[in-house]
Amino acid sequence: MSLTTSFLGLTLQSPVMVASGPASHDVNQVRLAEEQHAGAVVLKTACSDKYEHMRFWPRPRYKLLDWDKQMDGRSKVFSLYSYEQGYSGTLEDYWKFIRVSKEHAKVPLIASIFADDAEDWADMAKRVEQSGADAIELDISSPHKPGSLGFETTFVAAIKAVMGAVRFPVLVKLAPSPELLHQCRVAEECGASALTLCNRLRGFDVDIETQRPILHGNFAGVGGPWAKYYTLRHVAEAALVSKIPISGTGGVMSGEDVIKYVLLGATTVQILSVIMVNGWESIARINKEIEEYMQRKGVTSLSEIRGKALQAMTHPEEIIRWSGEPKSGSRNLWKETGEQE
Amino acid sequence: MISGQMMKYRGLYPFPPSFAKEFPPIAQVVEEHCIACDRCPPICFFDAIVMENRPGHKYSRTAVIINANCTGCGLCFDACPVDAIIWIPDKDGEAKPKTASPLMEDTDL
Repeated sequence: MSLTTSFLGLTLQSPVMVASGPASHDVNQVRLAEEQHAGAVVLKTACSDKYEHMRFWPRPRYKLLDWDKQMDGRSKVFSLYSYEQGYSGTLEDYWKFIRVSKEHAKVPLIASIFADDAEDWADMAKRVEQSGADAIELDISSPHKPGSLGFETTFVAAIKAVMGAVRFPVLVKLAPSPELLHQCRVAEECGASALTLCNRLRGFDVDIETQRPILHGNFAGVGGPWAKYYTLRHVAEAALVSKIPISGTGGVMSGEDVIKYVLLGATTVQILSVIMVNGWESIARINKEIEEYMQRKGVTSLSEIRGKALQAMTHPEEIIRWSGEPKSGSRNLWKETGEQE
Repeated sequence: MISGQMMKYRGLYPFPPSFAKEFPPIAQVVEEHCIACDRCPPICFFDAIVMENRPGHKYSRTAVIINANCTGCGLCFDACPVDAIIWIPDKDGEAKPKTASPLMEDTDL
């Protein structure tokens, strides 16, 4: 029995990867992830120089919504509401960050970038490749991305430009939306090596006492354990149509959640919130929970169960339905009207 | 190598070391209110909260913010059951670190 997962030509010691964010902003964090046997680390997204303002983070930048003080990190209903921005250093710092991380850790590193012009995307991707990262994730769906940059208008060109500029694997990170499936197809057609599903949604919350939006006063990314239900659906939908591997992410708090993603066709699973609220040990704990499940089910490799639940999905036309007349609609009406059937 | 007690966070300076001096950290513990429930140290992702002894007090320990590590992220506020962690707003609303570099050189490797 082994957690070893083959992803994008890399051999990961676990399907559990650290998602891009505040837990992958620093060399020491990469080593912490490695020590906990993470499969890979997706580094914090670096923004092009044009978006330099996104290297500065507001204070405060996080708020735990619906946080159960009794439950701490064991709660399954909280939301992490955050307006965290991009990597806080310059691009030169970022290339150095990749280089130094690569020197000090063996865990595969996936860099993450954001820009708008296709040219910038290609240049940055090239620098990432030169710096020694094992792959790159194109963060085209950040909940904090500035302006009204659209998928068709900006990011299709970006994916194409990056694909033309580099030779290493390219992941495309997409957000939940009605167009997600279409975007998956387009990304695949452009030559993407894998899909990361899904980014967090942009949310909003208001303080009714002060009658003002909370935190910094604008929309913010919102995610949490509840988010897995729609990402599981998106992963399933995408897995049914795409031939490229999928890295599922969203709301993973335990090994169970990872198994769910794998059963729906994901090759790897990215986690972040759970590390933030429960610590780095969460990675090792989740790995252990997956192993326990595999042992219980007699599974030797996760590839044996990948997509298994997809095969058991029921087509809407085949769902067995009952008329339900005696119980629904104007039920018990005869009592009032005195009519007998 | 990293060993011993596992911490959530180690060695990252999202802001230059001078930042805490120039723009004081915005999380502060009102020690009279602290009930030593131990909830804030684990929620801090930046290892910026520790429990310190205070002999003679009703609660023998209190949470203390380590200024150099506090990034003002806001995670601890919701974890405190008695609202003992308070907010010191930036003096200048436009306050920004002069350099955005995370100072890789300072990282102890």
